[in-house]
Amino acid sequence: MGKIHRRVMLVGGAITPPGLPMDWTWRQMAAEVFWKALNEVGIPVKDVDLVACNYNDRAIADSSPGPQIADALGIIPKPVVPIANACAGNGIASYVAWNAIASGRCDIVVSMGFARADNYDAMEAMNSQGNYVDFDYLLGLTHINYGTMRAAYYRQKYQVPLEAAGQWAYQCHWYARRNPLAVEYSKPMPLLEELCADTPEGERNRQATNRGGVASALVLVGEDIAHRFTDKPVYFDVAYAFSPPYIGNFFHYPVDALKEYDLGELSGLMVAAKEAYAIAGIHPEDINIVQVHDLTAYEGMMALEALGICPLGHGKDYVLSGGMTLESRCPVNTYGGGIAFGHGSAGSDFQIGVLENFWQITGQAGERQANEPRVGVNSSYGTHHSLDVVGVVQKGW
Amino acid sequence: MSEQFPDQFVRWDTFSSALWYRTRHARYRLMGTRCTACGQIYFPPRTDLICPACHQRAMEPYQCAHTGEVVCVALDDMGFPAVGYGNHLPRVQAIVRLDDGIHLMVDLLQVSDPQAVRPGARVRMVLRKHKREDTGAWVYGYGFVLEK
Repeated sequence: MGKIHRRVMLVGGAITPPGLPMDWTWRQMAAEVFWKALNEVGIPVKDVDLVACNYNDRAIADSSPGPQIADALGIIPKPVVPIANACAGNGIASYVAWNAIASGRCDIVVSMGFARADNYDAMEAMNSQGNYVDFDYLLGLTHINYGTMRAAYYRQKYQVPLEAAGQWAYQCHWYARRNPLAVEYSKPMPLLEELCADTPEGERNRQATNRGGVASALVLVGEDIAHRFTDKPVYFDVAYAFSPPYIGNFFHYPVDALKEYDLGELSGLMVAAKEAYAIAGIHPEDINIVQVHDLTAYEGMMALEALGICPLGHGKDYVLSGGMTLESRCPVNTYGGGIAFGHGSAGSDFQIGVLENFWQITGQAGERQANEPRVGVNSSYGTHHSLDVVGVVQKGW
Repeated sequence: MSEQFPDQFVRWDTFSSALWYRTRHARYRLMGTRCTACGQIYFPPRTDLICPACHQRAMEPYQCAHTGEVVCVALDDMGFPAVGYGNHLPRVQAIVRLDDGIHLMVDLLQVSDPQAVRPGARVRMVLRKHKREDTGAWVYGYGFVLEK
């Protein structure tokens, strides 16, 4: 690793609410969060040095997304780094933004994501449905099937009861009723018994809801200038790692960091967490609050284990002992998780975790506010854990 | 559509036959690759790619085993998205560990009682007619059946 020239601070951010107007284009969505995030901290558009932006590969039909995005945001001729790397690609955008500031090349960078999947009414870009399309999607297997298989394997390997998954989903719904930005915010609270049911309907209830079109933005600045924009900045660090895209290769992949593990662990997430914690100077026991990207409740528990919140195979114990609640030493998914906040895809799956931890640490989380957390960690993944991203936010001065 | 394959003829996906052609050896016969430098075997094949284990570029064709055992089973009762498989639910999907240690995710075919399939069950590869593309071409590839 090279030399880090300065710390990176998060001073604000924004995400679109659920239920965006059907006639909004991706350009409107991107401009909405960009404008709102900058206005929140009083930064003029002209002062932004760089935008790093992840997008859903079905959102933009044009062959050159960089200038399209720069044009929509009104920053031409300044650069945009366009990224199309699945749901957690907005974590890669954050990584790019972080590097631009940590290196000293840029002072103010906006990291973004947006998704407008319904721009196509066909699965033209079916690479968003498969990990390794020659040997999964084209043989009838999608990354949703991957998720179901991983959950089945994890349950089998670690004897995870349905009750743990049901409790996970229940707690996510509880938080979502206290988060106006969540898809499930105004809907009736489900019964725990429904969420624990051993039926196809119960299984669906333990999986993520779809957020639809969504966009998010984070405003990152150098530590030396953060005081100009806020009196509540937080330090921000991020790291990511790749794993083999084909599901069979999650079994003892022949590289040192992964070969001890199989489909029952998120080994790529462990790699990303190790690097993120090292950069941030923290250890798992320092963490006060966690947000994970959970398309299934089981993947949420696996993420807790990979992040070091509990030992491998003990996610179920953490959940069943009340570890997710506000009274816990480390509450989990206070934003509502993928299950009740909604799966934001390329638009927000990583950045919403960062934003929630930012709101928690700066005391802006309202009814779901945890007890003065100082260190928050979040994780996200794309194309079924072939990409895993970890973000760390820490209270500043 | 036909009586034997009652799936919709026009698919959502529009891949060309060329794409299918390039991967035919792996899909028809489970041809993988082996690194001649370190001996590591791979599926999907890594033809002309770099070995992640030893970082050499010396792959040769490798015939994967056609038999193995079930590691884990999952039932797909949603059939999402509709790629031509949604008419036969639930689909029985499995992680299979071949006898040479390669892991695959596959459809288990001709399963009379999906709930009865257990880890450790012996399976063998079969060539199956998967679906029909927009071009009209039939797509073939591997599937697995339980050994008697």
